[in-house]
Amino acid sequence: MMETTVTPATALAERVAEAVNQAGSCSVIDARQSLGKAALESLEYPTTRNERWKYTRVAKLRDLHPASASSRSNTPPVLDEFNAHRLTFVDGQFQGGEIVNESGAFIGPLSKAAQLQDDRLQALDQDYFADNEWFAALQAAAPQDGACILIPDGQRTERPILVHHHLTAGNVVAQPQHVMVVGENAYTEVILWTTCDDQATGLMNGALTAYVAKHGHLSLEIVQDEQGSSHHIAHQQFRQAESSRLTVRTATARAHWLRNDLHIHQGGQHGHSTFHGCYLPSGNTFVDHHTRIDHAEPDGHSDELYKGLAADTATAVFNGKIMVHKDAQRIEAYQRNANLLLGERSGVYSKPELEIYADDVRCSHGCTIGQFDAEALFYLRSRGMTETKARNLMVQAFLSEVLDGFRPEIQQHVEQVYAERLGWN
Amino acid sequence: MLKIVNLHARIGETEILKGLTLELGAGKVHAIMGPNGSGKSTLASILAGRDEYEVTEGSITFEGVDLLELDATERAVAGIFLAFQYPVEIPGVSNINFLRTAINSIREQREEGPLSGKDFLAKVKACAQLVELDGKLRDRSVNEGFSGGEKKRNEIFQMAMLEPKLAILDETDSGLDIDALRIVSHGVNTMRDPNRSFLVITHYQRLLDHIVPDHVHVLAGGRIVHSGGKELALELEKKGYDWILDAQSEKA
Repeated sequence: MMETTVTPATALAERVAEAVNQAGSCSVIDARQSLGKAALESLEYPTTRNERWKYTRVAKLRDLHPASASSRSNTPPVLDEFNAHRLTFVDGQFQGGEIVNESGAFIGPLSKAAQLQDDRLQALDQDYFADNEWFAALQAAAPQDGACILIPDGQRTERPILVHHHLTAGNVVAQPQHVMVVGENAYTEVILWTTCDDQATGLMNGALTAYVAKHGHLSLEIVQDEQGSSHHIAHQQFRQAESSRLTVRTATARAHWLRNDLHIHQGGQHGHSTFHGCYLPSGNTFVDHHTRIDHAEPDGHSDELYKGLAADTATAVFNGKIMVHKDAQRIEAYQRNANLLLGERSGVYSKPELEIYADDVRCSHGCTIGQFDAEALFYLRSRGMTETKARNLMVQAFLSEVLDGFRPEIQQHVEQVYAERLGWN
Repeated sequence: MLKIVNLHARIGETEILKGLTLELGAGKVHAIMGPNGSGKSTLASILAGRDEYEVTEGSITFEGVDLLELDATERAVAGIFLAFQYPVEIPGVSNINFLRTAINSIREQREEGPLSGKDFLAKVKACAQLVELDGKLRDRSVNEGFSGGEKKRNEIFQMAMLEPKLAILDETDSGLDIDALRIVSHGVNTMRDPNRSFLVITHYQRLLDHIVPDHVHVLAGGRIVHSGGKELALELEKKGYDWILDAQSEKA
């Protein structure tokens, strides 16, 4: 007789699947779901012995007992005055917004797109993370509703699309799946904004899968402004065709414990990718950015810049991998990560990884971890600025290289949240 | 306006100022000269409120207020300005944004309303002209990539914008070519006013050809050892410091 033992990780996967099924799941591609389920059986739960999780502790998360949401409370307002095409999701369920389904364009919830059986949703069939990352497998095995943005060849969206996902109070689990497919010569701007209730203690384990076709351009701004003490793991993957352009800017404005796993695959010649990010964990919070770009074809360009500060006893992690495949010649790939420590007990772990299998490439990387320049601070104060104003200005200045790339409304919001959180207002 | 009495100060275990006494009246230009390591820059730093120095004895009063009770910000608000010997580069902060923030921060602390955008820009234009600072330098990050001369002109530009009551120029002439020296001096001379005092710290007499002081003091061994009129600078240039130092040691 076979004896099966249920490991704590398997038990968590079962609890999450059950919670998701109760709340409502949204599976579009069966193969992906099977892949996730199979992976959960073979993959080990990540521990700090695993290089990719060395500084990212998820042991506590294993004991999570998901609860159903007590109430679908009102979502906090996001960029109130801002004119955008809005879609709102709460706990992996579509809450409302403007649905467009015309001339080959679809902007709305994935659940609705699935009913239409749009071929472009096959983009979900290829998944970079689901068979090798435990939490990605967890999401793939029990996905929920998210935004679906399908822009046909040659079309441009007129207004930015603002996708807002909110996690409610308590031990709620949400596993939204967002899909974006930008057709040939098409262009769209998307803002993905996540918030959490200040009583949120659950898990946000979402995925974003995007494909940008030949000469297409996707511009994505991600804002993570999350209250509460939930965990958030984001699996973001982008595949780019020939001569396509991708811009991903991520501002982690506020988060208790957050891990961004970002993967870009340039699968055609002359791909162009820009990915920038900023973060400022304070108190006892944690922010982790793991990025990887694959230059699989020649003549690609990538520009990666992540800047952040860690205050108090907070920890920030950056890991950036650049992979230049065999014979992907004439690649230009630049990576930079700069950090400032604000607290005597704050920490930053930064690690660049370059693997290059072509001989005619230009790649560079640079990591810095430093402290506030005391002389600069004195200089500003000697001109009459209060210590608060001077520090604020220096944080702003440090992050401006990243934040200047966002639209001004977002830049302003993020700067304000940072100032507020540091008590510098 | 400024009264320093028997000032003793040290950094770490090293005593640098050893009983410095000096008084500045309103509207006067005082020059401080002295050999290397005599404590000139220390005096400038202490007046501006740099934390690294510990005052162990003596007092500094500025318009009747105990200066040592004020931090660097409060001293700027009180009207003290230090033109840095080594102005700091601050990437990411434009010169203009920096000055606007500084001016409005001072005004806020003085319980005055913020300067209107129009008034601010008019002032920027006038002050930039004074030191021939062109538009590009105004819009660039503070001191970033500025030449030595541009940095010093930027200091005087800031001084003109902030209109201090007491301006301390810490070796503002170092690293200046003759044109920059002329521009900087012109800026300072234009700013001379019956209600404004200058403390000009310098190694060389050449700056004092352009900014003619009312008084010249020699700082040596942490104390003012000799004072005189503007002609003292010329004498020092010719004869060096030894004759004063020798006279001092004879007295002692």
